[in-house]
Amino acid sequence: MTHPYATQLFDLFKHLGPEMTLIVFACVLFVAGLFRADRAAWSLLAVAGILAAFFVLAISPRPQVLSGDSVFAVPLVFDALGNFTRVLALSTGIILVLLAWDEVPERHVADHHACLLVIIAGVNLVGCSNDLVTLFLALEMISIPTYILLYLPKHDDAAQEAAIKYFLLSVFSSAILLFGFSYLFGLTGTTNIAAILQTLHNAEEIKASQGLAQIAMLTIAAGLGFRITAVPFHFYAPDVFQGTSTSGAAFLSFVPKVAGFIAILRVFGFVLPAGVTTPAERSLVGLGLSDQVPILFWFLAALTMTIGNLLALLQDNLKRLIAYSGIAHAGYMLIAVASAPYLSGPDSATSGVAAVLFYLVAYGTMTLGVLALVLMLHRDERPVENIDDLAGLAQSHPYLAILTTALLLSLIGFPLTMGFTGKFLIFFGAMAAQGPTHLWLYPTLAVIGVVNAAIGAWYYLRIIAVMYLRASAKPIETPGTITCLIALLVCVIFTVALSVPPGASWLMNVARQAAVR
Amino acid sequence: MFSPEMCLWMIPFLPLLGSVIIVTLGRRMFPDRCHVPCIAGAIGACVCAVVVFVGVISETTPLRFGREIAWIQVGNFSANFSLRADGLTAVMLVMVTFIGSLIAIYSAGYMEVDESYPRFFAAVSAFLFFMTGLVLANNFVLLYACWEGVGLCSYLLIGFWYEKPSAAAAARKAFLVTRLGDIGLFIGILILWHNFGHSLEYDDIFVNVKAQYDAGVLDHNLLYWACICLFIGAAGKSAQFPLHVWLPDAMEGPSPVSALIHAATMVTAGVYLVARCTPLFGLAPDAQLLVACTGGFTALLAALIAVTQTDLKRVLAYSTLSQLGYMFLALGSGVVVGEHKLAGLAVTAAIFHLFTHAFFKALLFLAAGSVMHAMHDVIDMTKFGGLKKVLPITHWTFLCGAAALAGIPLLSGFWSKDEILATTYEAWHVSGGAASGIYCLLFFTALFTAGLTAFYTARAYFMTFHGDEKLPPEAGEHPHDATPIMAWPLMILAVGAVGVGIVLGPTHLFESVLEKKWITAQFAHLASPHSTNLLLMVTSSVVACIGVGIAYWLYVADPSAAASVASRMASIYDLSRSKFYFDEIYELAVVWPMNAFAFICRVVDQYVLDGLVDLFGQVPAVFGYLVRPVQNGLVQFYALLMALGLAGFLLSVLLR
Repeated sequence: MTHPYATQLFDLFKHLGPEMTLIVFACVLFVAGLFRADRAAWSLLAVAGILAAFFVLAISPRPQVLSGDSVFAVPLVFDALGNFTRVLALSTGIILVLLAWDEVPERHVADHHACLLVIIAGVNLVGCSNDLVTLFLALEMISIPTYILLYLPKHDDAAQEAAIKYFLLSVFSSAILLFGFSYLFGLTGTTNIAAILQTLHNAEEIKASQGLAQIAMLTIAAGLGFRITAVPFHFYAPDVFQGTSTSGAAFLSFVPKVAGFIAILRVFGFVLPAGVTTPAERSLVGLGLSDQVPILFWFLAALTMTIGNLLALLQDNLKRLIAYSGIAHAGYMLIAVASAPYLSGPDSATSGVAAVLFYLVAYGTMTLGVLALVLMLHRDERPVENIDDLAGLAQSHPYLAILTTALLLSLIGFPLTMGFTGKFLIFFGAMAAQGPTHLWLYPTLAVIGVVNAAIGAWYYLRIIAVMYLRASAKPIETPGTITCLIALLVCVIFTVALSVPPGASWLMNVARQAAVR
Repeated sequence: MFSPEMCLWMIPFLPLLGSVIIVTLGRRMFPDRCHVPCIAGAIGACVCAVVVFVGVISETTPLRFGREIAWIQVGNFSANFSLRADGLTAVMLVMVTFIGSLIAIYSAGYMEVDESYPRFFAAVSAFLFFMTGLVLANNFVLLYACWEGVGLCSYLLIGFWYEKPSAAAAARKAFLVTRLGDIGLFIGILILWHNFGHSLEYDDIFVNVKAQYDAGVLDHNLLYWACICLFIGAAGKSAQFPLHVWLPDAMEGPSPVSALIHAATMVTAGVYLVARCTPLFGLAPDAQLLVACTGGFTALLAALIAVTQTDLKRVLAYSTLSQLGYMFLALGSGVVVGEHKLAGLAVTAAIFHLFTHAFFKALLFLAAGSVMHAMHDVIDMTKFGGLKKVLPITHWTFLCGAAALAGIPLLSGFWSKDEILATTYEAWHVSGGAASGIYCLLFFTALFTAGLTAFYTARAYFMTFHGDEKLPPEAGEHPHDATPIMAWPLMILAVGAVGVGIVLGPTHLFESVLEKKWITAQFAHLASPHSTNLLLMVTSSVVACIGVGIAYWLYVADPSAAASVASRMASIYDLSRSKFYFDEIYELAVVWPMNAFAFICRVVDQYVLDGLVDLFGQVPAVFGYLVRPVQNGLVQFYALLMALGLAGFLLSVLLR
C-alpha cells in the first residue's frame, strides 16, 4: 500500500531546484577550497552558484498542486511568500558575496562563501516551510554555518568573543523555540503548520486549551525574537556586530531578520497556506486564540523600537550604531505585525503583512548600503570604526558622501526614499487598525513609532553632519574594492527607485501577492 | 517620435536636461561654454513648441499627455502629471521658448565668463523648465509647483550678484512679496478643490462650476472668493497693486534676466492664470470688476511713477507694471451681460497684448542691457545722453521697441493696446448700473495712461539717445556697441516688435487661434462675436502722438522746459519721483511691525522654547544612560535577561 500523499511528497523535490543548486555549489566550494586559495575564483563561483539558483527558480515547474487536504500533509509549500523569500534571499546573497569579497582572508574565502550558500538555502526553506520540524531544521541550517561564518574572517580576540557569544545565545534561543514547538505539537498532535492553524481555529478546542496555546505562542515569539533582535532578546547584537568583521555584521544585520520575520508570518498564520479554511467569525489571522498574540507583538514593538533608538543615541561606534538601528527598525516592522490582524477593509491583513515585507526590503537595502560604505573606507592603517572617522568625507569623496547621505536619509525616513515609503505604510496601517479592546491602542503605537523615528533622525543626521561639516586631520584615502562600490550603488539605486511609483507600486504589489492568505 | 503629444513633454524636459548637464558636468568640464546646453535646450524646446502649435491648430481637441501618471494620491486627493496644450498654451509656449532662446543667446554675449557663469545658465534653463511646465500643466497642483519653481529661479537670478547687498535684498523682497500672493493662490485652489468636485484638473473644475451654475445651485459667494484668492496669487506674481513693490527692485538682476523673467514671461504668469480661469471669472462679475479696477489703477500708478524716474531700467520696470495692469484691465472687462458676452474678446485682447508686450519689452530690456554694457553698468539717464551715434545698433533697436510700446500706429503695441481699450469701451457700454460708471472711468484712465506711456517711453528714448553726446567716466573713451551675438537677438526682436502686431492683429490670425482652439471649445457660453472700432483707433493714435510730442518738446526741442515744468508741478513731481512713498509706507505699516513681532518671537524662542526643547532633547539620552549598564558584555547575564524577559511575558499572560 502506497502512502496516500506519495505524489505530493515526491513532487516537492521538483520544486527544490534552487536550494539543491545552492548546496551543490556549496559542496564544490568546500572541497575545492582545500586545494587552492583563490579569492576571485571562489567568489565568482559563489556568485555563479546564486545566479544558477536564480535561473533554476525562474525555470522551475508550474505551481505546486495541492489537491484536497494534502496541504495538511506536505512539509513545504511553494507559494507566493516562498518565492518572495527566495528572491530576496538570493539577491541578498549576491550583495553579501560582494561585501565579503575582499575582507575575508584568502585561504578562508571558499569556506566562507560555501557557508553563505548553505545559509541562503536555509532562508529559502524557511520561506517555504509548512512543518515545525522543517522550519526548525531550516533555521538551524542558517544558525550553524553562521557560527563558522562569524569565525572565519577575523581571528582576533574580539571576533572570537563575538562568535562565541552569538553561538551560546543562539543555541539558547533555539532551545526556547523548540520548547514552544513542542507545546504546539502536544496541543494539536501534529507538526504540520497548516494543520496546527486549522485546529487552533476550531472554536471548541481553543476554549479548552487557550492557556497552553498562549504559552506556546509566547515561547515561539521569544525564540524567534532572538533572530529579529526584539527586546529583550537583542543583547547579543551590539557586542557581536562590533566584534565581528564588517561583512559579518552586514550578514547578521539582515539575514536572520528575514528568516525570523518570515518564520513569524508562517507560524502565527499571518500568511495561511492555500487550503486552510478559517471560520468567518474568527477571520483575524494570526490568532485563532485570543487578542493576546497581537498584544504581545504590540509590547514587543514598542519596547524594541524605543530601547533600540535610545541606546543608538549614545553610540559612537558605527557598527554598534547599526546594530541598535537594526533593533529599532525591527521594532517598526513589529508595529505592522501587531496591527495586521486588526486592519479592516477589502484586503484587510494583507496590507499589514505586505508592509512588513516592503519594510524588510527597505531595511536591507539601506543597512547593507551603509555597511558597504564602511567596508570601502576601512583600512587597517586608517580605520573607520567610529562616527568621527567619517569626518571630511564630503571633501575627500563627495560622490560617496552623497550616496551615503541618501541611505541615511532613507534610514531617517525622508521622502523619496524607501525608508519613507515603508514607514508611511506601517504607520498609516497602525493608524487604521481597529483595536479589539481599546480604540486608541494602535494609533498610540503609531505615535510611539513616529516619536521613535524622530529620535532616530538625530543619530543618523549626526553622521551626515560629521561627513559634511567636519574636516578630518587625516583625510580618508582612496577607497579600494570595486565590489563594495557596486554593492553600495545597487543599494542606493534600489532605495530611491523603489520609493516612488512605478518602483514602489510594483514592490507593493509583489508584497501583497506574497501576503495573500 | 515627433508627434505633437511627444513634443509636449519634451518642451519642459529639454531645458531641464540643459540645466542638469550644466550643474553636473558644466562646472567642471566646460565652465566657459556653459551657455551651450542652455541655448540648445531652449532652441530644442522652441522647435517642439512650434510642432505643438501646428498640432494644436490642426487638431480639433486639445493635446494631452500623461493623464494617467499619478503623482500624489492620498485619500480622495489626487494629482496627476498631466500636460495639455490648447490654443492658449500653444501661443504661450511659442512665445516663452522663442523669447527664451533669443535671450539665452544674448546672455552668452552679455554675461562675462567668471566663476558664476555656469550658475547663471543653469538657473535660466531651470526657469524655462518651470515656466513651460506652468503653462503646460493641466491641473492646479502642477501649476502651483511650477509657479513656485519660477519664483525660486527668479529669486536666484535677481540675487545673482549676491555680493551686492541691494541685489540680495531685492531678491528677498521679490520672493517674500510673491509668496504673500501665493498664499492666496493656495487658498483659492483649496476652495476650488473642496467645493467643485474634489478634483484639481482644470476641465473637471470648469465643467463642475458650469454644471452647478446651470442647475442654479452655484454658491456665488464661494466662487467670488475663490476667484479673488486666485487673483491675489496672480497679482503677486504679476506685480499688481498693492503687491507691485518687488518688481522695480528686481532690476538688480542681470539685464537678460529682467528681459526674460521680469518683462516677457514670469510676470505674465498671473495674466495667464486669470485667463486660464476665465470660465470661473466669467461667472463672477464682482471679481472681474475688482480685477479690472486693480489693473487700471496699477496701470495709471506705474505710468505716473515712470514719468519721473531717471534709472533707465526702472522706467522700463514701471512700464512693465503698467502694461500688466492693462492686461488685467482687459481680463476684468470680459463681462457677460445678457446677449453681450465679452469674455472671449477680453482674453484675446489680454493675451494678444501679453504676446506683443513680450517682444517689445524684452527688446527694450536687452537694448537697455546693451547700453549698460557700453556704459559699464551706469544706468542713470542723467549721466549719459546722445548715444545715437555711439551705439547705432542699440539705438535703432531701442527705437523700434520704444515706438511699439508707445503705441505708434501700425506697430505691434498699437494693435494690442487698441483691443484692450475696445474691450473696456464695450464693457462700459454693455454693463449697467454702477459697473457701467466704473468701466467708463477705467476706460478714460486707460486712455490717459496710453498718453503717459507714450510720454515716458519717448522721454527715456530722447534722454538716452538724443541731445548732446555725454558719457559717464566709467565708460571710458570708446564705448562699444553690441557684439554680433548680442546684436542678432536684438534685431530679430526688433522685427518682431514692429511687425508681429500687424501680421496677427488686423488679420485676426491670433484671435482665430485662441477662439477656435480654446475659447469656443471651453467656454462658448461666455463669448460672442464682436467688431472693430475705428474711432477708438484714431483716438488712441492721437493720444500716443500727443504723448510723444510733449516728450519731444520737453527733452529735445526745449531741454530747459522740462526743469521748469517739474518745478511748477513740484509736489506731484516729488510724489512720482519717490514712487508715491509706497516703499516707505510698507516699511512703516508692514515691515516694522513684523520686525517687532519677529523680535518678540525670537526672545520667546531663544529663552523659553529653546530651553524646553533642550530639556525634551535630554530625556531620551538620560533614559539611554539609565538602560546602558544592562549592556555589560557578559554573555551569561544576557542569557539571564532573555530568560527573565520570557518569564515576564509568560507571567503577564498567565496572571491576567
